[in-house]
This record gives sequence, C-alpha cells and structure tokens, in this order.
Amino acid sequence: MKFLCTDCDTAMKFKDVTRPEQGSVTALFECPDCFTEIAMFLNPSETQMLKSLDLKLGGNNEAAQPMQMVRSQLETAKTEAMPNEFSAEVSSGGTAEGGKCPFTSVISDAFQEEPERVEPTGPVWSAEALERLERIPAFVRPMAKMGIESFAKDNRYDEITGEVMDAARGNFPTQF
Amino acid sequence: MKSYKELPSDAGSNIIGQVTAQVNRVQKRLASVKHTVAIMSGKGGVGKSSLTANLAAALTLKGNTVGVVDADINGPTLAKMMGVRNATLGYTPAGVKPAVTALGTKLISMDLLLAEDDAPVLWNAHTQKDAFTWRSTMEVSALREFIADTEWGSLDYLLLDLPPGTERLPNVVELVPDLGGVVVVTIPSEVSQLIVKKSVTMAKDVLNIPIIGVVENMAFYVCQHCGEEEPLFSAGEALDTAFQQVILGSVPFDPRLARSGDDGTLYLDEYPDAPASKALMQVAEKVQAFLKKSP
Repeated sequence: MKFLCTDCDTAMKFKDVTRPEQGSVTALFECPDCFTEIAMFLNPSETQMLKSLDLKLGGNNEAAQPMQMVRSQLETAKTEAMPNEFSAEVSSGGTAEGGKCPFTSVISDAFQEEPERVEPTGPVWSAEALERLERIPAFVRPMAKMGIESFAKDNRYDEITGEVMDAARGNFPTQF
Repeated sequence: MKSYKELPSDAGSNIIGQVTAQVNRVQKRLASVKHTVAIMSGKGGVGKSSLTANLAAALTLKGNTVGVVDADINGPTLAKMMGVRNATLGYTPAGVKPAVTALGTKLISMDLLLAEDDAPVLWNAHTQKDAFTWRSTMEVSALREFIADTEWGSLDYLLLDLPPGTERLPNVVELVPDLGGVVVVTIPSEVSQLIVKKSVTMAKDVLNIPIIGVVENMAFYVCQHCGEEEPLFSAGEALDTAFQQVILGSVPFDPRLARSGDDGTLYLDEYPDAPASKALMQVAEKVQAFLKKSP
C-alpha cells in the first residue's frame, strides 16, 4: 500500500500509528514536502489480518523473538508454557515486566487496545454478578464480560445483577 | 501524477521486507534438516496422528534424529500420543526448546501451550465475530513459528502432521519449498479413499510434491487368539488401484496401538513383534528408501 500527495506528486511517509480503539487502528502518513497529513483507518478485520500476519505498520526494526506471534496473541496460553530461562535473562536486562511472555509488551504494543474509557453512565457490576463473572472460564471471560455489558447497555440497565446475567445468558454459548 | 510502480516504497512499512525476514527465518532453521515430510489424509479419523507418532518413533529407533510438528493447530493430539503432554517448553533467544520423548524424538505442538484441557485455541481479537476472515492466517503464522522458532538442532527427518483436509498443504509448501514428499494415510473404506484421492491430486498435480506413498491404516484386524486376519470394515474394501502402486504398508488395527496413544507409551517398543509394529517399521524403511533416492 502506497500513498501519494497529489498536490506535490510526492510519496507520503509513514508518521505514526495509534493503538487499536474498538479493534480499529489508525495510521498517519505525511507528505515530506508540504507536510500534509492523512489518516488511514483500518477496520477491525483489517487490523486483525495485520496481526495475524505478524506484520507492523511503519516497519519493524526489532529483532524477531521466538514464537512472538503465538506467545503474544494466544489468549488461552498457559502461563508456564514459556518458562523462566529466558525471562531471567531479560529481567536482568531490566526490560521484562512479568506476565506470560517477557516480550508481549514489546511485541504487540502496537496492537494492544487503548485502555477502555470509563463511561460514568454505563452499567456497574453488583458484587454478586462479579462473583458469577469470576466463575466463567478465564479464556472466555473477557468476551462474556463485554457481551453482558453490551446487553445491559442495549437494554438500559444501570446495574448488572444476577438477573441481568440470566437475561443475557441466552445470547452466549458459555453458561454462567 | 506518479503511478504505483513509480513510488519508491510502501511509505516505510516495508511489508515485503518483513515477510522476507519471516521466510528467511524458516529457511535458516530448516538448513539443518535433511528431509521434511508431510503426513496427510484429507479425511479425519483415519489414524494419521497415530501413524505420525509411530513413524517418528520407528525412524528414531532406526538411529535417525527426528522432529515432529503437530500442524493440527486446533486439534493437537501428538503431545499426548507421544507421552510429553506435561513437558515444559524451554525458551532461549535462539528459539524454543521442544518437548523430547523418552526415545529422543522432538515435538512442538499447540497442546504444549494451552492453559487447560478444555481450552480451545483462542486468539486475541477485539471480537471473535467474523473470525473466519483472519483465523486461518493466524494458524499459518503459528505453523510458521513452530517450524522456524523451534530449536530442532540437526535433524534427519522433520515430520509435519497436517490436519484433515487439503487446505493446509499449500501453506506448508509455501513455508517449506523443499518439502521431501507426502505420506498419505487412508483406511479401507470407499468414503476415505474418495476424500484421500483429492489430497493426492492436490499434492501431486497441483503442488508438484512427490507422493512418498500411501499407508493403509486399520487395514485388517488380527485375532489375538488365533492370529487370523479379518477385515475390520464390513466390505473389506480393496485399496484403490492408484493407491496400490504406491503403498508403503498396510497397518492392521490393534487395540493396544490405540491404548498406547492414550497412554503416551511406545507401542513399537512394547510390542515389537506385533503385526502392526512390523508394518510400521516397514513403512519407515520405505520412507527412508524413498528419500534416500530423491534429489
């Protein structure tokens, strides 16, 4: 994919990329002559395809780490799958921050979602509902949480209770 | 106004360079592998993974260094069948140290990475909706990393156990252009052979990959009391003529073979004189002979 500044007839240069919001990445390009900027929006499927190919907008100058795509993108990985041997080496260098993969933050930084904005008007979770949420298997919990919150918003619930979860249950394959 | 070809680069992303680096990584790793072999069937349930596990063991018993890639990303079974399901992968800057069986066969499998028995392969995504548009790409990237980033060391044979279907073989050929050949597994049923023929056509005629041969699995049943051979499938279907020309062996059904897979024990070692063991060793010999002759 290439971009041309039609005023200057000059190839535009990559300038910056944002972390995904709602699954969508924004890449900025700039004309080196007139400094006009354009933004390219990748929809969630396009963003995901880029992740799947383990490619990075704006180039990749970092040395590839062993199995970096699998380790950073596999939601259902066990934490001990990649043990301490290399983590220790990295830790001594002061760059690892723990977690299931010492390089996850480096590898997938460009693809990590921005922290969700707190919406003061959104539904809040009751203690009972949170307890039930914790019983959902870890690997599907984020999806279930997102789906229940979406259900609550759509149905104008201010609080997510057990009853709301029961009502939302029919929309999900996972039982909770 | 300049055209696409007149623009010098893709604005600095260098996508071609990134892809080339990925390809080079695979080639660098495979430089120390003498022969790469894909095991495929086209149809599920014919015992392909069991055959892969035992072929790997047979080749190892014959003094070869052998590695196995469980290319069935969503239905990985080889870690259990090869008795290394509890192995912890080692991780170094040079690569991931694979699981190693008691015999010395090396294995990489998605099963070694998953958190729990009931955990499916679930990729990080904003939504799993429309996952069909990118999931297969993610799986091929995972397979690429399995091949490229596992510390195989020097291998005589690297076996790739493909999932059912024909779609993964073209991906493998792209990743491993020097694929030594394909071992095709079928069972004596018309249904299986109908599907397996498609795999043979895909390999031989579409992708120009040598067919090392066909293994007829569950070919018959040997009575454990009288030793008489009985057809396992009611019709006792004869193997298709096209397959008979390249048959590597007919492996009889043996409940002990299935149990060894469940237990992760070495059937060939436990029952070296069983008809299935002899057939499997014969298959290994023919695979070796084929690859020895190939350029």
